Amino acid sequence: MFGRSKAKGNYAYTATKAKAMKSQLIKEDDYNKMLQLNVTELVHFVSEAGYSKEISEIGERVRGIDLVERATYANMASTFKKLLDGSQGELHTVLAAYLQKWDNWNIKVILRGKSYGLPAEQIKDDLVPAGSMGAEALDKLIALESTDEIIAAFEKTESLTIPPEVLHEYHENGNLGKIEDFIDKYHYERLLKVIPTTSIPTRMFSDYIRETVDIKNVETIMKLKSEGINGDAVMEYIIPGGKQVDMKLAKQLADAENVTDTFADLAQLDFYEDVKEDVESEDMDICKIFQNTKKHELHVAKKFSSQYPLSVLPVVDYMINMENEARNIRTIARGIESGIDRETIKELLVI
Amino acid sequence: MVDTALGFIAIGAGLAVGLAGIGTGMAQKDIGAAAVGAITEDPKMLGKALMFMVLPETIVIFGLVIAILACFVLPGM
Repeated sequence: MFGRSKAKGNYAYTATKAKAMKSQLIKEDDYNKMLQLNVTELVHFVSEAGYSKEISEIGERVRGIDLVERATYANMASTFKKLLDGSQGELHTVLAAYLQKWDNWNIKVILRGKSYGLPAEQIKDDLVPAGSMGAEALDKLIALESTDEIIAAFEKTESLTIPPEVLHEYHENGNLGKIEDFIDKYHYERLLKVIPTTSIPTRMFSDYIRETVDIKNVETIMKLKSEGINGDAVMEYIIPGGKQVDMKLAKQLADAENVTDTFADLAQLDFYEDVKEDVESEDMDICKIFQNTKKHELHVAKKFSSQYPLSVLPVVDYMINMENEARNIRTIARGIESGIDRETIKELLVI
Repeated sequence: MVDTALGFIAIGAGLAVGLAGIGTGMAQKDIGAAAVGAITEDPKMLGKALMFMVLPETIVIFGLVIAILACFVLPGM
């Protein structure tokens, strides 16, 4: 009885910890206050909002907006790592698979950094060691000389094999795009395999991930379509495993002559109501679509986390909200630095 | 015969306390884990967490009441 419970995971501990952590995130009122601050005041505010450790650590090396940006990422990485390290059994496996997206983020940063010849310290600044690869493992990757060695080491760590044709194309034209696309697709494929479908909460999590895939695919289709790219060129970027957007519907959307022709198919999707206005407006703004799909994801996460409090769902809800907080702080910081007016910055926030 | 009846009463009393104790333990396992999770992030939660932590103790008290009744009331009936 107790052995089985351990294999299932310490849901009570981890989910409540995540809920307590979520209650300490920045609230809407605080964002309004942050919008009135200058850069120095913003650093002080962020420090008091739970980022003090990272601000004082990183503050020794950098100042201003860069300090805010790096501190938010460092804090996010350490909180995710804390939750991952404290979880056990099935819960740990699912969270590790979910956080693998940060390993992917890091490998992309390292490969891009190396291919542009950036110094190691500069590459490290953009890393988010929130996945299974910690700071040490990432340092080892950065220390490797060639991108081929980095890719080989990453394949070994993540137990994945990048197809030879993808590597061949990279060697021919030096474009990392195909490798990055493969890593992203592989992440969703593996995550959907890892999430058990034996209980309602895990099925809900699986559905959430599949809807995220739908959203990503629709965003990709819309973005490429607005640039005049249709058909097979779009299909190359489609991630399989979606909830409502299967490969057939994706092909239909990709083949549509223009954005207007996709409205009828898009109307069947659950999240379409949230983006309908932006998609169907005459001057379609991709950023606005991205923003509203993020709001939809937050709404879905909030809804499911309260339905099953002792499951993986509150933990995922916290992670989604934490990621959103980091993005909002960075948006405010960059907005203030660029001198954008407060109302415009507020419109860019996902609250 | 009288000894056998007393024996069954004693077994019943033992089961009442024992099973209620196991039930309490099972309930407190999750509540305790959740309480520790919450307190580590927010020490102000200590009071509320402790209150929820002791709630399942009532189950074992019910068991204890039954055991006392079984030991002291039933033999006199």
